[in-house]
Amino acid sequence: MTQEEKYELFDRYCSKELSSAQEEILIKMVKEDDALAKEFALYQELNSHLEARFVSEQEKETLENNLKEIGNSYFTKKRISKETKVIKIPVWAYGAVASIVLIFGVYFFNQSDPVYSDYANVPELSISERGSTEEDGKKAEHAFNSEDYVKAEEYLLVLLSKDKENTAYQFYYGISLLEQGKYSRATQAFEGIYKNNSSYKYKALWFEALNQLKQKKYDQCVVLLKGIPKDAEDYNQAQKLIHKLK
Amino acid sequence: MANTKIHADQKYIEALLRNDPLVLTEMYKKFAPKVIGYIKKNSGDESVAQDIIQEVLITIYKQAKEKGLQLTCPFDAYFFLLCKRRWLNELKKNTDTLVTINEEIVSISDESIHFVEETEIFNAKHKLYSEMFDELGKACKELLKASFTIKSMEEVASKLGQSYGYVRKKKSLCIGKLTQLIQSSPKFNQIKKLL
Repeated sequence: MTQEEKYELFDRYCSKELSSAQEEILIKMVKEDDALAKEFALYQELNSHLEARFVSEQEKETLENNLKEIGNSYFTKKRISKETKVIKIPVWAYGAVASIVLIFGVYFFNQSDPVYSDYANVPELSISERGSTEEDGKKAEHAFNSEDYVKAEEYLLVLLSKDKENTAYQFYYGISLLEQGKYSRATQAFEGIYKNNSSYKYKALWFEALNQLKQKKYDQCVVLLKGIPKDAEDYNQAQKLIHKLK
Repeated sequence: MANTKIHADQKYIEALLRNDPLVLTEMYKKFAPKVIGYIKKNSGDESVAQDIIQEVLITIYKQAKEKGLQLTCPFDAYFFLLCKRRWLNELKKNTDTLVTINEEIVSISDESIHFVEETEIFNAKHKLYSEMFDELGKACKELLKASFTIKSMEEVASKLGQSYGYVRKKKSLCIGKLTQLIQSSPKFNQIKKLL
């Protein structure tokens, strides 16, 4: 067997194109020849290595960029908190510092941190489906749109118990929780949506970012905002918020 | 190995695979301080620690992606030991640097060491495979990249303006060439000794 024939045989094995008779012959040859066996094993490993490498190259780069950002923000924050700890002000300077703080406080009064209510534009809930869910749907719709989020949570939960895969219900359920300050459960609801594909994917990511904003977890908010792509409805708002949080 | 039950910390491996920003942030908060402390005690600084942490996380991701890494031990000791060894390897390159080895920072089980060694072998192989891939000719590199990105060899052939038969044959020859380059590399024999 020539080199060319050997590698073609290996390649057809990796591509699962050999007939069972051809495969048997190859296995027999490999069993009888140690050097061939080693080469065959490495060939197969390289085949799967190259596949993983090229198929997931972009995914790896996205992860690298994300880790870089998370790392940067972790290390910068660490340095800032450390620097803050070592600043010692002599007692005589308290008065002066207080005056400066007051002046800056007045000056920067209008430049305070962005807040949830500035950005949260809660959409209206409209359930038009018919059938057994109609009554519960109407109740959920009414409660949600009249901002009675306690009741909305209750009714949406009933709807979800009948149709737990419904991303619209999950999304509005998440907002109902968020509006009540039930942060971790809201996170659970939004995560369940944005980690999968649906028309609510980036809406959920936007609201989860707002969830973090409401909790003043600014770094996490920014990380999530950066995941909103250009073609998403909330992209411009997300960019504005990133800019404010910088 | 005796213990085959997947550890709850597998969630960190999954977070790397999913690129989940919240869990990844949590990982930095939870696991970075120990690594930073160790590196700073051993002639390094925070920016070095940041690079080491990032490199190790990417290696773990690659192993999970390619080999389906499943942890049966805690992530903490496994991750710390990987970062530590990587930093010691860096220091070894500069032999004048004094190295303090403090093994008491975390209790390390045999199982964690087993995982660390597997990851290190994976990483060494991966590096060698990439180095040898770069040694291939331009035509081979392009053809292999196209073959594994595009999947359908008919499409690869039309993209490269060649016949289907030619690209199939060339692909197998290029992987064959890569196999030979790796087998004849002294580094490959060193890695094999570790297995």
